[in-house]
This record gives sequence, C-alpha cells and structure tokens, in this order.
Amino acid sequence: MTTALTGRAPLVFALRRLGSRPEIILGAILTLVLGFLVITPLAEALRDAFTYQPYDLAYRRDAEVGAFTLFHFERIFTGQLSLALFYRPFLNSLIVGVGVTAIAIVVGTALAWLMIRTDLPGRSFFGFLAVVPYMMPSWVLALAWLSLFRNSRYGGGEGMVTYFFDIEPPNWFSYGMLPIVICLALHYYAYAFLLMGGAMESVDSELEEAGATSGISKFRRLILITVPLLLPALGSAIVMTFIRVLGTFGTPALLGLPVRFFTFSTQIYAALKSRNAGDGFVLALVLVVMAILFIQINSRIVGVRKSFVTLTGKGFRRRPVRLGGWRWPLVGMVSLFMVIVVAFPLMILAWESLMLKANDYSLGNLTLHFWIGGATESLQTGDPGILNNPRIHEALWNSLKLGISASIFNGLLGLLVGYAIVRGRGSLMAKALEAISFAPYIFPSIALGAIYIGIFAQSYGPIPALYGTFALLILITVVKNLPFTARTGVAAMHQIDKSLEETARVQGIGWFRRMWQIILPMSRSGVVAGMLLTFISAMRELSLIVLLVTPTTMVLPGLIYGYQEQNQPQHSGAVSLLLVIIIFIVNGLVRLTTGQSFSSRKKPDAERAERAVAH
Amino acid sequence: MLRFWTTWLAALALATASPASAQDKVPADIDAWLKSAQLGPYNTNEDWNEVIRKAKAEGALVIYSSSSRMSKVAQWFMEVYPEIKVSAFDLGSTQTIEKTIREQDAKQYNADIVTTGGSGEIVHDMMKKHRIFNYVPKHFVDRIPRENREPLLVRVNEAVVFFYSGEAWPNEQPIKNIWELTLPKWKGRVGIKDPLDSGSLFMGVATYVQHKDEMAAAYKRMTGQDIKLSPGVPDAGHEWLYRLLKNDAIPNKSGPKLIAAAGTKGARNPMIAMSNMTHIAYNDEYGLVNKMLVDLDPVAKIVYPTYTAIARFAKHPNAAKLFTAYSLGSPELTKATKIEKPYDKGKSRDMLLGFAPFFDPGSVSPRSDVPLPPGGEAWDQMKGWIADPDYLWFESAKVRDFYIQHVSP
Repeated sequence: MTTALTGRAPLVFALRRLGSRPEIILGAILTLVLGFLVITPLAEALRDAFTYQPYDLAYRRDAEVGAFTLFHFERIFTGQLSLALFYRPFLNSLIVGVGVTAIAIVVGTALAWLMIRTDLPGRSFFGFLAVVPYMMPSWVLALAWLSLFRNSRYGGGEGMVTYFFDIEPPNWFSYGMLPIVICLALHYYAYAFLLMGGAMESVDSELEEAGATSGISKFRRLILITVPLLLPALGSAIVMTFIRVLGTFGTPALLGLPVRFFTFSTQIYAALKSRNAGDGFVLALVLVVMAILFIQINSRIVGVRKSFVTLTGKGFRRRPVRLGGWRWPLVGMVSLFMVIVVAFPLMILAWESLMLKANDYSLGNLTLHFWIGGATESLQTGDPGILNNPRIHEALWNSLKLGISASIFNGLLGLLVGYAIVRGRGSLMAKALEAISFAPYIFPSIALGAIYIGIFAQSYGPIPALYGTFALLILITVVKNLPFTARTGVAAMHQIDKSLEETARVQGIGWFRRMWQIILPMSRSGVVAGMLLTFISAMRELSLIVLLVTPTTMVLPGLIYGYQEQNQPQHSGAVSLLLVIIIFIVNGLVRLTTGQSFSSRKKPDAERAERAVAH
Repeated sequence: MLRFWTTWLAALALATASPASAQDKVPADIDAWLKSAQLGPYNTNEDWNEVIRKAKAEGALVIYSSSSRMSKVAQWFMEVYPEIKVSAFDLGSTQTIEKTIREQDAKQYNADIVTTGGSGEIVHDMMKKHRIFNYVPKHFVDRIPRENREPLLVRVNEAVVFFYSGEAWPNEQPIKNIWELTLPKWKGRVGIKDPLDSGSLFMGVATYVQHKDEMAAAYKRMTGQDIKLSPGVPDAGHEWLYRLLKNDAIPNKSGPKLIAAAGTKGARNPMIAMSNMTHIAYNDEYGLVNKMLVDLDPVAKIVYPTYTAIARFAKHPNAAKLFTAYSLGSPELTKATKIEKPYDKGKSRDMLLGFAPFFDPGSVSPRSDVPLPPGGEAWDQMKGWIADPDYLWFESAKVRDFYIQHVSP
C-alpha cells in the first residue's frame, strides 16, 4: 500500500500520526531514560559477576581483571566458602523472610479488617497510629530492642531489663533470629495494613449482600466473594513484604552480629565494603532472581498480576461488621498492641535522649542537654544538643530537600509513566515501560546503591559525574521509588475515561494543556498518595544511600546510624524522634491541604475532577 | 532504541576488555606533567619560596580525604594563605580510593591531594599505577624516618591495640601473651571491631596472621610446646585467628560501643577489646576506665599509616606541596616543645599547624621530632608491626575469606 506513495510521504504521515499519539513519544522517551537508569545497573552487576575483579588476584595471580570467568559462582556455590558465604546466610534470610511475612500479613490484615470493616471504637485514631512504625527507619525498633534486652555479651552497660529487674536475658532472646523477625515484622506489617485496608475499602458490601440474599452462608460468602476480591492485594502485600525484608540491612546487622548471625544483605554489604564487587553482585543477583521467582509464583497463585478496582461512581456502600461483645476486649488488645509497637519504642527513644549519662535510668539523670544544650567538651564527643547542632540542621535540611524533590519528581514521573502505559496499553512499548518501571523493585537497596557508585563516578555524554553530589541521592531515590509511584500513576490513569481527553483533543486543546487541566486534576489524589509514599521512604531510608552519602550530603537516617555507631544514644534517640515528628507534620499538612493521607484513606476526589471536566 | 543498545553494548565491551596497563614506565604525558610540576625524579633543588609563590598563583587546591578533620585544616590553611581556595572532600577511606580511580579512568583529574589509609590498595592500585605520586617536602626529609616517607609519605600513624578494664585489673594486665585470648577463660569475652566493616581493623588482624613464625614462637613461649595446627589451617598466624573465632570472639561494628564493653565502670565480666588506639580518648569523654595491653607477646600494636600523596595530573601541584608541608606541622617543632590544650588554638596550633586536629592519644606524627600527645605516651613502649602493603595487596582476600569462613558459626 505504501509503495504507491512517494518516498517522503510515509515519514510525514508517520510523524503526523505520532503527533496525535503523544503517549508513544512520551513512552519512548521514558523507556529510554528509565531503561538507562534501571538496566545499566543490572548489566553492570552482571558484568562484575562474570569477570575477574582485583579481589580475585589473590587466588588467580595471573588473571586479567575484566576477563570472563565463572570464578565467583564457583566460590559462592561450590567452594569451601560457600557454606559461610552463601548457604547459611541464604537459609537465615529465607527463614527471616518467611517468618516476618507471615506475622506481618496476619497482623496487618487483622488490623485493617478491624479499622475498616468493623465498628471498633476509635478506629480512625488507631488507623493513624498503625502506620507510625512505617514512618520510622526500620532499625529504630532494633535499637529499642537492644536498649531493653541487651545483656553482658553486648557489653557497655546493661539494658533496661537487667537494670530494673536484675535478670539477664539469654542470648537467643537478645540477639539473632528471634528479635530480627519480631522487629522487622512490627515494622513491615504496615504494608499489609495499607494494601489490605485499601482493598477492603473498595469491596462493595453490596456484593456480599447480594450473596446473602441468594442464601449463601456467612462463611461461604467470605470464601466465595470477599477473599477472591482481596486476593490480589494479599498477593501484593506478601510479595512486597518478603522482597523488602530480603533486602533490609540495618536490623540484621544490629541484632545479628553480636551472635555472628549473618543474612544475605549483611554478606552483600560486607563484600561491597571490601571492594569485592564480584561476590557482592553474585549474591545480589541471587536476590534478584529470588524476587522474580517469588513474583511469578505469586501471580500464578493469585491468577491476576494486578487488579485495580475502578471507580464506578455508582452508589458505594459499606456496612460495618458489628463486633458486639467483642468490642471492648478488642479495643483493649489493639491499644496494647499500639502501646508496645508505637508508644513504647518512641518513649524509649525519648527517654534515652534525656539521659545525661547513658545506661543510667534513674530520674536524677534526666536532662535536656542533648536537645537544647551547647557544645560541652567533657560530655561525650562534645556534640551540641540537636536543636543547636549545625550538623543536624544541615542533615535535616538535606533530608527535607531529598524528600521533597524526590517526591515531586516521582509524582510527575509516576503520572507520565502511568499515562504512557495506560494509553499505550497493548503496545510493546507500554509493556517494556511497565517492566522497566517495576524493575527497581527487585533490586536490594544496598546493591542498587553500590552499583550507582560505579556508574556515576564518570560522566555519560551530557550527564556529568554525579558521584558525591546531592543529585545522585535524589536520582537513586526517584528510581527506587518508581515502582510504587508508577503503580499509583497507572491506577489513577485507569480511573480516567479516555473519552474525556479525546473530547478535549477534538476541540483542539493541546497535549500540555490536556495534561494540566484534565489529567492532573483528576489523578491528583493518586499522585499525592504516591508522592507522600516517596517522601516518607526518602526521609527514613538508609540501606539505599548508605554507600552514597558523603559528609556534605549527610541526611538524618545516616546521622542516626552514625550516632548509634558512635555510641551516642542520646543523640540518636533525639534525632530519631525529630525524624518521626517531621514525617508526622508533613503527613498532617498534606492531609489538611488535600484531604489525602496515608492513614485515613478517603476516596480520591475524582468526582470533583469529573465535574470540573464536564464544564 | 536499537542504537542506544548497540552503543551501550559497545561501551560494555570496551570496559570489559580494558587491558592490563603497563605498570613500570611512566607514560610520556604523565612524565611531562611531572616535569612541569617538579615532582618525582624532577623534584631536585626545591626552592621553597618559589613553591609558595607558584602555589599562590595557582590559587586553588582540591583534597580527597578519608578524615572529616581535614576540613578544619583546610580552613586554617586558607587563613594563612588566603590566595588559595581549598576544597576538602571528606569521603571516607574506601570512597577516597574509589572516587579517585573512577574519575581518573574517566579522564577527570579533580583531586590534587589524596590522603587516606588502606595500605595495599594505595601502594599497588594507586601509586604503582601512577595514579598518585610520593612527595616529601625537602626541609622535612631528615626529620622523617625512611619507613614513614617511602614508598609514600605518611601523614599520620595510628594503631590497632587491645583494651581492658583498668578497674577489673587495676595492677597488672589480664594477659601477657596474645594466645591467651584463645583459652577457655576468654570464651565469648573477646570483642573485635568488625574487620569486614573496618579497614584498619582488618589490617590489624591480617598483620598478626602474616607474622606466622613470630606467632608460632609466641605460642611456644606461652606453652613450652610447638603449636599443633588444626585441619585445613596453613600456619600459626591463621591458627591464632581460627582459635580466636572458635573461642566465640564477638565482632562489633561500633568501635565506641566495643570499648565501652571493655571499660565501663562496674561492668560484670568485662571484655578484652581489639580496636583503634585513638579510642583511648573515650576514657575522658564517656567516663570509661580502659587501659591498653602495653606489654604483649609478640607485639602490642599494629601500625597502620594514613598516607598523603599528590594525584596524577594535579592542576595545583605547588599548592599541594605547600599543604603537604602544612599538614606535617611547623619546622620549629621539636620533641621538647610544650604543647598544651586546646591544641587547635593559639600557640599550640601555631606549632602543630595541620597536625593539630590529629594530635590525639593514639595518633602519631610521622616526624621523629614531634612529641607524643598526652595520654598516648604508651605508643613508644609498645612493640609493634607495621601493616605491609605487599602482603595486604596480595593476600588480604585470602585472609578475609578465612575470616568469613570461620566467623560463621
């Protein structure tokens, strides 16, 4: 057919067609840029895993660095080191991962059900509290655990339990598997809580009632109607929790080392710190493969890879389950849980921040010095109190800069990616973009950080060498959070009927104006939710950037980790509290100004947006 | 799209096939730079006033450093030489090396001075590959012992030592021989700052392992018998590490926490802790009661240097020379000079200059004519070995692997 046309015509024709399909141009650009940011690390890791590294010269004196080899694979999977380097940490990580996921899912789902589907008194308040652990760095709980339960094996003064009750907890209770599982589960249940809560909210109880009127028993209704509707969310929660736990570094490092308990992430960290990139990346690749397998298995079981409940605009009703006589006992149980998981760690941090001398829990030892005091040479390292401390102010400012800029970029990017994927649905490009935007998810944070050092120490065409700059921190944060924001972007875009935009296009309204006046307002709530998620994780994330921060780009979590390493519990406690307070405030502000929030899930204001477009 | 991937693959192939560089002869372009900068073989008849004049004309200086204290030194330096704008990047030891190498490979020559620890890599991966060059100011050569200026100038020496509670053992050391740490009495009571996390501690452990004959002799002095090696353990050095780990030694990522485990007042069952000698300063800051094992068979300390050198193609070589001299302290400083607290102010600072922030117990100037800091006098009484760049470069992977294998329970 095209043969009949002149040479130039098909090109012009194609360009004109492209002009009417902005999502293709957009998608191509995004695929290219994100492809570079996401695929390059993977390729880099593969290259280092399959070639000789300087580290290997001790064994292969005449090997050429950079030459192809399976040396690392032999070392890790079959050599005499394999047990220590791979199999034991692998087993430990697996057990921790399964244990944490199981507990987190049960706890998170139960809480979500209580908050959303029942008439539990005070449920919105509890709902707010339930996500607090998510706002703290995950290892803050580990610090609290050590403050409580450390024994003389750890040394350097006793924990609170020993101080007050004069009993020494046994090693298996103070360190290793048990506390790691508990501390991580009490942090990561927030994922299950949020995801399951979201799904439960959108299950129309009319469906269940329809089941009831058809005479289906209560239990069968649960199995036949409710569970299938919640299954996709459950699957996502399991995958998300499990993969996150595999890649987490802080808690296993703090609680595992005293009993020489190693996990995958601690081994990767050790290898990369020793400049042994070969081992580090082989281990990281195992994590990536595990994550992919896990996602596959999950999607097989759940059947659908993801499912979004579209807003229908029809009457949507939810009838709360009456708890009856269980109401008050359940309030008691939930309160107790919140006290243990939320109030107690925060109180311990607050208390530690107020102690003049570490490990002395008497009332006479309380002071505000570490909050408002100046530099006193004789006290610890002479660091001034956190409100007078320029280092902390700088880190605070850096953290805010990182959180805000990353969330803006992520919000925008999520929207654009969502737009390109949904509008280009079915095309190869949309599939590629979807896969790429999901890929950072499977990278353990610590490995991604290590690879980014390697990539950005040099310039790439127009991109200057970003190593050591703040821009690199923002970049990696944006990339790491992309899977979440892309998902919210896709979800938001699914809810917007294509015909709205087409109507505007027919009237000759350009693409940018369409985005600005139709797409953005309508997807606002989804975008804001994604931005808030990015902000919170950027504020508290350590594993991702621990290898990338320099003293001038120091951020709050890095500072907290540094203070606890320097054995300054007052400072680490105070800065942790500061971090939690800031996240609280931002969360509150966002909630006030947009009606969106992390903990109370109001329905997106799509209706209003629809009205706006209709006019 | 396709183009993107082909370009990328080509780049990958190039990077993969980077040839082993010839390490002996200095390439012509570097040689030309050495000549213009009067470094290496061309550093003859140094005219110090001329160096100062040129340094001021250069007007800037970029330092990659493993220490956060360098920014203080940079500030003071700028007070003396306001014409020279100094940027000190505090990167930590691994990243100082990593960043310099990566940048130079990308033909970006930002750093003038590189100062960091990590003996094996600095000598073999940097100096021998002409990434950095040794420079010793002429007027200091006679005041610095050879081992502190060859193959590279040492900016400060520090050491890995053992701490114990001076409260639990007020009169004499709990042990005299390093092999005692492997006895049942000390099971689960020896702490080590994690060698997989801390480069200096790794050098400490590896240097004990390296001296296998001395370790075997020390064992014989303690027991009167020759050592019997465990299956699969190659020599007495490794045997010591093996037995130490079998004796449930406890790694700790935090040095301060570790030495608190040794020296907290009133602690039950305190540990012996292997960590950096500079931590003795925490006695004052945290009210600890630590002492060091000063008399230990075979040696009580492992010295690890922090080197300073001038980077390849440095744009400000004379400013770098001037700063190198500044960081060594005043030429007027002698063993008899009285240095009083605070070291970073007034007369003390005028004498110590760039060394003032490092004038702490456990840190020692490379010069033989600088007094030891108060609290660190034990340095001279402690026998020691120096971390060996060759051994560390060629063998540390094996030692580290041995450690990884046996630290796993």
